[in-house]
Amino acid sequence: MKKKLVALLLAATMVTGLVGCGNSSASSSTASNPSSSSSESAEESTKENTKESTEGETAAADIDTSEHVVITYMTTGEIPTGTKEKYDAMMVELNKILTEKVNAELQIYFIPWTDYLSNYNLTLASMDGTVDLVGTASDWLDAWPNAKNGAFLELSEDMLKTYAPQTWESVPASNWDLCKYNGEIYLMPEDNYAQWVNHGFIYRLDYAKEAGLEDGVHSWADLTEYFRYVKQAYPDIIPWDSDGTQYGQLASGYILSNTDYVSIDGLNSGAMWGGTKDDLYTIYSPYVTETDLLVEYAKMMKEWDQIGVWKTDVLNNTASTNRDDYRIGRVAAEQHHTQTWTDLVSHTPANTIYADTPDAASGFFYFGEERDNVVALSITHGAMAVSAGSNNPERALMVYDLLRNDPDCYKLLCYGIQGVSWDMDESGLRILPEGYNQDTDNINGTTNYWWGRNDNLEIRDATRNWSEIDKLYDHYDSVKIEYPYGQFVADVDMIQSQINNINEIHTNYMKQISFGKYKGTAEEIVAEYQAALEAAGINDVTAELQRQFDELYK
Amino acid sequence: MDKALNAGKDAPVTKIPAPKISFWKKVKKSKVLLLMCLPAVLFFFFFSYMPMPGIWVAFVKYNYRDGIFGSAFIGLRNFEFLATSGKLFDLTKNTVLYNLAFILLGNTLAVFVAILLNEMRGRLFKKISQTIMFLPYFISQVLIGILVFNLLNYDTGFVNGILSSMGLEKWQPYAEPGSWPPLLILIYLWQQTGYNSVVYFAAIMGIDSEMIEAAKVDGANGFQKIRYIILPNLKPTIVILLLFALGGIVKGNFGLFYNVVGTNPLLYSTTDIIETYVYRATMTDFNFSTASAVGLYQSIIGFIIVVTVNWIVRKVEPDYSLF
Amino acid sequence: MAKQDIDLIDSGAKVKLGKSDMAIRGFGYVFISFYALCCIIPFIIIISTSFTSEAVIRAEGVQIIPKAISLEAYAMVTKSGGIWKSYILTILITVFGTGIGLFIISMTGYALQRKDFPFRNAISFYIYFTSLFSAGLAPYYLLMTQTYKLKDSYLAVLLPLLMSPWLIILMKNFVKAIPHEITESGKIDGAGDIKIFTALILPMLKPALATIGLFLALGYWNEWYQSSLFLSSKVAVKPLQYTLYEIVNKTDALKNSVAGQFINLADIPQESVKMANAVLATGPIILLYPFVQKYFISGITVGAVKG
Repeated sequence: MKKKLVALLLAATMVTGLVGCGNSSASSSTASNPSSSSSESAEESTKENTKESTEGETAAADIDTSEHVVITYMTTGEIPTGTKEKYDAMMVELNKILTEKVNAELQIYFIPWTDYLSNYNLTLASMDGTVDLVGTASDWLDAWPNAKNGAFLELSEDMLKTYAPQTWESVPASNWDLCKYNGEIYLMPEDNYAQWVNHGFIYRLDYAKEAGLEDGVHSWADLTEYFRYVKQAYPDIIPWDSDGTQYGQLASGYILSNTDYVSIDGLNSGAMWGGTKDDLYTIYSPYVTETDLLVEYAKMMKEWDQIGVWKTDVLNNTASTNRDDYRIGRVAAEQHHTQTWTDLVSHTPANTIYADTPDAASGFFYFGEERDNVVALSITHGAMAVSAGSNNPERALMVYDLLRNDPDCYKLLCYGIQGVSWDMDESGLRILPEGYNQDTDNINGTTNYWWGRNDNLEIRDATRNWSEIDKLYDHYDSVKIEYPYGQFVADVDMIQSQINNINEIHTNYMKQISFGKYKGTAEEIVAEYQAALEAAGINDVTAELQRQFDELYK
Repeated sequence: MDKALNAGKDAPVTKIPAPKISFWKKVKKSKVLLLMCLPAVLFFFFFSYMPMPGIWVAFVKYNYRDGIFGSAFIGLRNFEFLATSGKLFDLTKNTVLYNLAFILLGNTLAVFVAILLNEMRGRLFKKISQTIMFLPYFISQVLIGILVFNLLNYDTGFVNGILSSMGLEKWQPYAEPGSWPPLLILIYLWQQTGYNSVVYFAAIMGIDSEMIEAAKVDGANGFQKIRYIILPNLKPTIVILLLFALGGIVKGNFGLFYNVVGTNPLLYSTTDIIETYVYRATMTDFNFSTASAVGLYQSIIGFIIVVTVNWIVRKVEPDYSLF
Repeated sequence: MAKQDIDLIDSGAKVKLGKSDMAIRGFGYVFISFYALCCIIPFIIIISTSFTSEAVIRAEGVQIIPKAISLEAYAMVTKSGGIWKSYILTILITVFGTGIGLFIISMTGYALQRKDFPFRNAISFYIYFTSLFSAGLAPYYLLMTQTYKLKDSYLAVLLPLLMSPWLIILMKNFVKAIPHEITESGKIDGAGDIKIFTALILPMLKPALATIGLFLALGYWNEWYQSSLFLSSKVAVKPLQYTLYEIVNKTDALKNSVAGQFINLADIPQESVKMANAVLATGPIILLYPFVQKYFISGITVGAVKG
C-alpha cells in the first residue's frame, strides 16, 4: 500500500514536470496510458496532443516508475577525456530532470571508433542488459541486420503510444512504416532533422571565377577546367589532396550527374543497385549497363590524374588532411557531402581562408546537379532502437521520449550546460560563451546524439552561413524526391557471398579507374571490370533483388 | 674437441624400459609434476577450451537472441564467399609464402645476430646496441606505415629526393607490385629481429660453458666454436621455434600488410593475404560467423601442416618434436 | 665457409683470439653497428617529429632534426591528466602479470621436459593445440563477459596474458638444455620434485627467466586489445597503450570506414600526436632491457651446480 502511494506521488510530480515542459515545447504531450485496454490508449493517443488533464494524471499513475533505474544509451564515439568534467556536470543536470520526470537516470556507453563495428556488435550480442537504448543507422550502422538477428526489441504501437507518446505523435504513420521489418517496428527514426549528405565537390568560387567560370562549377566538365586552371595558376597548391578513398563517391557521382539513377541504401558500399526516377521499381546496376558512360568517366579521371589533381601515390596517401588543408588554403577542393560544405562555406575561426583572402568564397557542385537528381536522405540514417536484452525497455522509451522532445533534456544532451558549453545570442542563435575552451567545454562533439535530433529544438550555430545554406536546402527541397526504398529490407542471406565478392571487385577496379591509375585503355579496363562483376554473379544478385522487390511493391 | 663435438647431442640418458602400469598409478607416481602443470592446464581449459565449442558459430546464421547454439544451422555457407571468390588459392599461397620467408629469414637473421652479439666484448656496446635493436618492436604498425610512405612515396619521399638530386630516375614502388615482397620482408626483419634474437641469445647463454672452454683448450678457432658448439646447441631451439611457427603459417600478419600496403589495388597481386582480403570484402557485412569460418579454415590447414611435420620430426629426432 | 675453416686451422690459429676470432669480432662490430643505426634512425625521426609543430609537418613532412621545438603534441596528449594514472595502472598490471606468469610458466616448462613424466606429451599437445584453434571473437567475448563476468574488470586484461603456448614451449626448451643429471642428482639426494625445481633448476634458468619475463612484460606493456574489448567507458583508468590508442584513433579508424562517408568528422588527428604517442608508449619499458640483460650471463656450468 505504501509502495503504491509513493508511486502515485512520483507519478504526480512527473506529470507536473511534463506540464511544465509542455508549455515551452511546440509538441507537448500527455503522460500516457499504459492501461491494459489497448483500444482505449489508442483512442487517447489520437486525441489532440496538447491535452493535459486529470485524465493524464490517472493514466500516468498506472505506469510504475517506483523503482529508480539506470538507462544506458550506446553510441559510437570516443569516451570524453578532456571534456570529462563538463560532461559529468551536464549528466548530473540531465539526470536530475530524468529522475524527477521518469525516475530514471541516463548513462552513455561509448563505442570508440577503433574497431567500432566489432565492439558495437559484441555488446549487442551480449543481450544482458548492458545497454538499453541503441543508436543505429540503416545505411552505416547495420540497423537492419541487427533487427533481423534479434538484437532489437519489437516496439509495439501500444508501447510507443504509452511510453514514448511525444515521439509517437511526431512521427507520421508513413514514416513508422519505414521502420518496420516483417510488420514490426524496430527503429525510432530521426525524421525531423534537416540534413543533406548527398556528395559533391566543395571548391573555391573565387578561383573558379578567375578560371572564367563566372557562375562557378556546375558540371564535371567545369570541374576539369577548374582543376586545370588551379594547377597552372597556383603551382604550390595541390588541387585536391585526396586520400584515395573517394573512388566510389566519384563514380556514383558521375552516374548521378548523367542518368536518373536512384540507388538502394545499405546493400553494399558502392550502392550498386537501384532504379531510375521514372521507373523506380525495376532494378538494375548502372555499373553493368552504362558501359559508354563508364568509359567516358575513366577517360576523364585519367585526364585529372595527368593534370595532377591529386598526388602521384594517391592510393596510399592515407595521411592526407585535405579538409583541414582546405580551411587554410593549402588545397582548392574537398570532396564530401553537403553537411561538410555547410561547415567549410562558413566564416568560422577555423576557416582561415576567409580572413586571409578577402574575396575567398566556397561553392558547392553536388553530384546530380546537372539534372537535379537529388534524393532525400533515408529517415533511418539515424535512429534509436531498444536492445532486446534491456531489462527496462519501457523506461528506456520514456527516457528517449524526453531526450528527443523535452527542450531542457535535449539542450543538455546535445549542447551541454547553457553558459558553460554554449549560449544563445539575441537573435536566438547558438554562440560560444565567454571564456569557452573547445578542449574542455565542448559537449556538442562529445555525446554524439545522432539518433533523434529534432529541428523543433535545434538551436542554430551562429557561425554558420545560414543564408547560403538555406538557399541550397530550399533548392534541394524543390527538386528532391523522397528516398523511395525505405520499406525495402533486402533478405541477403542467399546472395551475401556474391555481394561480398562484388564489393571487392568494385573497390579494386574503381580505385584504379577513379584515380586514373589503370593500365591500358579506358575501354579495356571497363570491359575487364564488367566481366569480373558478371563472373562474380552480379546479374544473379540483381535478379534476386528484383524478385524481392516484386513481392514488396507489386 | 671430442667432448665438444658430442655436446650437441643430449647427454645419453639411461632409458629404463617402463613397465606397463595403469593410468591411475601413473598419475599417483607423478602427482607432483602433474600438480606443477595444473595451473597452466586450468588456464588453457578456462581461456582456450571453454570458448572452443563456440566455433559452432562458423556454421550458423548467428541470431543474437537465440544465441550461438540456438541459431539456424546453415552448413558451409559462411565459407562460401571465400571459396567462390576465385582468390582462395592465390590468397593462401601469398600468405604461406610470406610467412615462410618471415620464419626462415627471420630465424636465420636472429641466430646470426645472437651469435655475433655473443662474440662482442665491451659490455656497454652490447647493452646499447641490443637495446637499440629492440626499438623497432615498439613502433606500432600504423606508424611504420607512415614512415614507409614518407620514405618511399613518389612526390616527396626521402628515397626519391635522393634519386632526383643525383639526376636518377624516380622510383614508384606504390605502383609496382614487384617491389613489395622484398620490402615487406625487410620491414618485418627490421621490426622483429631484435625481439627474436633474444631467444637465441638466451639459449647461447644457457650452453654449458665447460664445453666452450674445452673446445678452446682443444684449439678450436672462432668459426669452429660456432660451427661445432654453438649451432648444434641452438638446434633444438631453432627446430622447435620453426615447428611452432608452422602452425600459424596460414595466418597472415594483418597489421603489417594493412598498414604498409594499405588498400591500393595496384599492389594486391603480390601483397594480398587472407586477412586483408576478408577484411575488405566483409567491411559492409559485419558478421562474427564469417570471421570465425575463415579462422577455422586457417586453423585446419595449419593443423594438418604441423601434425605432419611434427610426425616426421619425431621419426627423425624425437627430442625435437613439439609434442 | 668450410674451406675457410680448414685454411684457418692449417695456418695454426691459436686458442686466444686467433685471426678468425678477430675477423668475427670485427665483422660483428660493423654489422651490429649498422643494424643498430637502421633501428635508431626511424626512432630519432619519430622523436624529432613529435617535437615539431603541426604546421611544419604539413608543409615539410617528418623531421630528422626539428627546426624549432614545439611541445604542442605532448601538451595535447597529456592535457587530460589521465595518462599518468594509466602509466601506474600499466606498471602494476605488468609487474603482477609477469610475476605470476613467470612462476607458472617455468613450473610447467620444467615438468613438461622431465622424461620420466608420463603425461608430458599429452599435456604438451593439450597446450599447443590452443595455439592452432580458437573459436573466434564472439564466443570468447561472451564467455568472458557472461560466464566469467569479467566485463570492466582489470582481470580481463591480466588473466588472458598470463601465459601462451609459445612461452611455455620456449621455457620447456630452455629447461631441456639443463643437463638431466642435475635432476637425477637431486633425486639421489632425496629431494622432491618441487625442491629440485626451486633449489637446483631455477637458479640455472636465469637467462630463460629473463627472456620469458621480458616477453611477458612486453606483452602486458603493449596490451590494448583486451582493454578495448572488455573495459567500457565505465572504467575511468585504462591501460596506457589503450589510452594512447584512443587519442590517436579517434577519427583515424573512422576515416577509413564506411561511416566516414556520412558523418561530419571533427578535427583529424595530428601526425605529431601519433609520434608523441609512440615516444610515450615506449617510455620506461625501454629501460627494462638493460636491466634484464644482467641475467644474460654465460658461465653456468654443470660442475658448479653439482659441487
